[in-house]
Amino acid sequence: MTIELQVLASALRAVAEEMGAVLIRSAFSANIKERRDCSAAIFDEEGRTVAQAEHIPVHLGAMPEAVAAVAAHDPAPGEAWIVNDPYTGGTHLPDVTLVTRTELGFAATRAHHADVGGAEPGSMPARSTRLDEEGVVIPPTRLDAAAVDALVARMRNPEERRGDLRAQLAAQRLGERRIAELCARRGRPRVAAAMRELQAYSERRVRAGIAALPDGRYEAADVLEAPEGDLEVRVAVTVRGDELELDFAGTSPQHEGNLNCPLAVTRSACLFVVRCLTDPDVPASGGASAPVTIRAPEGSLVNARPPAAVAGGNVETSGRIVDCLFRAFGRAVEVPAQGQGTMNNVTLGNDGFTYYETIGGGQGACPHADGPSGVHVTMSNTLNTPVEALELAYPLRVERYALRLGSGGSGRTRGGDGVVRELRVLEPCRASVIAERRAHAPQGERGGAAGAPGRTLLNGEELPAKATFDLAAGDVLRIETPGGGGFGVSGARGGGGRARPPAGG
Amino acid sequence: MILGVDVGGTFTDAVLLADGELRTAKVPTAERQEESVVAAARAVGAERVERFTHGTTVATNALLERRGARTALVTTGGFEHVLHLRRQTRAHLYRLCAAHPEPLVPLDRCVGVDERLGPGGVIRPLDLASLPQLDAEAVAVCLLFSFRDPSHERAVAAEVRRRLPHAHVVASHEVAPEFREYERASTAAADAYLGPVVARYLGALAAACRGAGLPEPLVLRSSGGVATLDEVAAHPATALVSGPAGGAVGAALLARAAGFPRAISLDMGGTSTDVCLVEDGRAGRAAERDVGGFPIRLPTVDIETVGAGGGSVVWRDAGGALRVGPESAGAWPGPACYGRGGERPTVTDANLLLGRLPQRLAGGLELDRAAAERAFAGADPADAVAAVNAEMLRALRLVSVERGHDPREFALVAFGGAGPLHACELADELEVRTVLVPAAAGVLSALGLVATEQRRDHVRSYLVPLREAGRLPEEGEADLRYRGQAFELAVPLGPRLEERFHRAHEERYGYADRGREVELVAVRTADVVAGPELTLPAASPAEVAGPAVLELDGATAWIPPGWAGVRDGTGTWTLTREP
Repeated sequence: MTIELQVLASALRAVAEEMGAVLIRSAFSANIKERRDCSAAIFDEEGRTVAQAEHIPVHLGAMPEAVAAVAAHDPAPGEAWIVNDPYTGGTHLPDVTLVTRTELGFAATRAHHADVGGAEPGSMPARSTRLDEEGVVIPPTRLDAAAVDALVARMRNPEERRGDLRAQLAAQRLGERRIAELCARRGRPRVAAAMRELQAYSERRVRAGIAALPDGRYEAADVLEAPEGDLEVRVAVTVRGDELELDFAGTSPQHEGNLNCPLAVTRSACLFVVRCLTDPDVPASGGASAPVTIRAPEGSLVNARPPAAVAGGNVETSGRIVDCLFRAFGRAVEVPAQGQGTMNNVTLGNDGFTYYETIGGGQGACPHADGPSGVHVTMSNTLNTPVEALELAYPLRVERYALRLGSGGSGRTRGGDGVVRELRVLEPCRASVIAERRAHAPQGERGGAAGAPGRTLLNGEELPAKATFDLAAGDVLRIETPGGGGFGVSGARGGGGRARPPAGG
Repeated sequence: MILGVDVGGTFTDAVLLADGELRTAKVPTAERQEESVVAAARAVGAERVERFTHGTTVATNALLERRGARTALVTTGGFEHVLHLRRQTRAHLYRLCAAHPEPLVPLDRCVGVDERLGPGGVIRPLDLASLPQLDAEAVAVCLLFSFRDPSHERAVAAEVRRRLPHAHVVASHEVAPEFREYERASTAAADAYLGPVVARYLGALAAACRGAGLPEPLVLRSSGGVATLDEVAAHPATALVSGPAGGAVGAALLARAAGFPRAISLDMGGTSTDVCLVEDGRAGRAAERDVGGFPIRLPTVDIETVGAGGGSVVWRDAGGALRVGPESAGAWPGPACYGRGGERPTVTDANLLLGRLPQRLAGGLELDRAAAERAFAGADPADAVAAVNAEMLRALRLVSVERGHDPREFALVAFGGAGPLHACELADELEVRTVLVPAAAGVLSALGLVATEQRRDHVRSYLVPLREAGRLPEEGEADLRYRGQAFELAVPLGPRLEERFHRAHEERYGYADRGREVELVAVRTADVVAGPELTLPAASPAEVAGPAVLELDGATAWIPPGWAGVRDGTGTWTLTREP
């Protein structure tokens, strides 16, 4: 690529990053400001991703659908549009996306709002069966002051919602201004050429990575723990030269719960794995997805149709798709063992507050390195909420927050350890927990041992993987997150891994 | 006589100011830094020194090279793993087993004590008997909510000092009395970990100075102010950014002297580049900085660092893009044109091929043009310069545009061995009209040291609505935010504080919300004793018009076509783009 385009490309990436920073720093809800559950991106005239501020992998491949959904309404410059409908550009309802036109293309921000209405505080019900139980469904809508008033009135903590939307809007305006400045300074055609070149550049790098994988067809399956019984995700991976086909034929049909994924989420999970295995540093432009064909049967778990509920698909099924893809690629090349395979979604709330968090666990061991402990392993990378920040803002007390020592699987390299987190509620409230890997442990790779499965306990009593329930003041919810699987056979290690410290605490 | 000695990775620089005369010297940095300090002082002919200031990398190196003390951490029971849990994020989104640096305290030396404070006060009283035996040379104590009520933490620290009278003990509220337990614990742990090593160095330094007839030096802290050896030994984490801080302070000083109170410093060395915004003639400050992967919640000069400098290697990636750094040819073998066997092209080689470096460097090194040509193998060196400039631009934009400042209102102060080679082109990109290049471009950090103020920082945590905060100090800064936000904006104390916060928020984030409650998070004040007035030695006026190469003390400047410069009476070049 010519150096001029390279310099422009760097400026375009800086625009997305600056948008992301403004959103985080001026937001109000803990989920955005402390945990950074949000993304910002800019798109070309055709709606392809040009650059993205990357905080959360699950947003990676899913944002273009939101832009396409808004672009279909031909938004005028200066207008802001809002969307969260998973079946027209969204992922799950709490992920609210704003889209605006820029001088050249579009800008978008996506943030997981702490509440978007619906039956349960926090809008992450564990046992929903229809989309409209999960919150306010927003089709692509022009966002003016009246629309903001109408929307936040249907959500809990409307002032916090309004503040977060305002932060998103500030990031949008910044993106518009920066793209306009770039076009004025460099000329629109040159900026357009740089956008095209960024697409082509990412595509070249990903193709080079795919070409290095052995040609062939590799299959795998894994399960999800639905309330009514296990569901299956199946994939067949075909590597042909510098192209990939990922076919989910045989995956369970969409179900009565909320583990269903809109196609955008499945696409994100696929692109995540491709990126991990080919070129982890490639810029996140639309070109990176060009060599990848995804086939997901309509009406299945991985390409659900309305009005299926989707709250858990985005956070849990997405991770299982990743596990399944890694296992398939593992037939061809060395891949990491399975990580905790869940985000351990905890939502607490009443009329006075809503609080949402996800809890890290063990990463699966890699061929030449131990898996890190206490982290999000696949499609999330949110931060924790500091104990002091949490207790200053909510009627909650953290009783314990520690590594779950020994929960990672053994092997030549070890799986990372999970986490123990105990929350005591100081007011009566509702709770929802959406988790996975409670019955089926994260598996090791190439002979490594499985990690310990997770547990959810209310005052010491074990709860199922998906549960919505009432809490009295003083109740303690304890989450033990799964450990990651090990890699290779123990004892065969050549000193590559760390020694395990004695259990304590 | 006033003496400043700045120890860098490769060279130790000394600046001596006596009777309006400026003397500079450079000596190689030795294994033992105190020897380099004395050698540099000798090289510059220091005697009868009245004030001696010193910038050191001892704390930073000890942290990065993991040479600190055997350290233990005491936390609230149930939260012993705070350093290992970090903030839950993984090190790289797509390299799943990429590891954060190992915490400074291993798990088996992280212990809990039975007690608990909450937002409303004591939840469980302190049981000192529950404190386990500790086996450590240094101990950090970080209990939940100690930023609000330090009584438990103080009692635990006293008990640890009683049990381990020779250990270096740090209570988190002493160094960073602010909320967010991980960042506070990380700061306290680093401070404890560095204690014994830094104390040993400062002791050796004091002895070496006595032996050489020099006064005991003042040490530059990250904040850009100097402190006594005892003060720094008590809290060595305050000196983690000592090295780069000297450059920022020097740039601020130079810009102020040249009549530009608003400037951006560009300190480009061999492997990295530091940039810093200067406002009102002072280097900008931040409340926190990441050092070696650990958050350090202490006042620091607000520097952005880019992993690219003159020695950075130029390469092409799998997608065909030209990349610069972070790999560097280092001091040995150095760039290909040094003729010491380096074969990979570097930024310095590109500058030579473009005719921006003299055939022979000021130090006497003959440059080998043919070797630089071989390394580039037909690739365009102008592309390499453009690629490294793009990296610098990101950092320059970050400290200016992205913090709400228009770079066109600032001058660019270029120094370090390579800064003045790139400054004019960077200024063109940012539409900056003035570039300042000091005569002592190669030793500006040491020059900054001689004039630094003496400074003791204080922070007080509030977390109350601003309206209920009561009377505030008149000077210093307030950390303010809208109630409910997580990040604060620092606003200078003084009248109409609330309105000035709204304006700052609007400037930074594009909107203000005057209906929302403003919360006071913390107040930062400092006891400051001004440094000496610095009179730069007289120089004869001169002029230059681009294209031209200017050879300076320890650096080379490139004046592109369309740029012209004048040298003022203090030797500073003011370069401007011709209209």
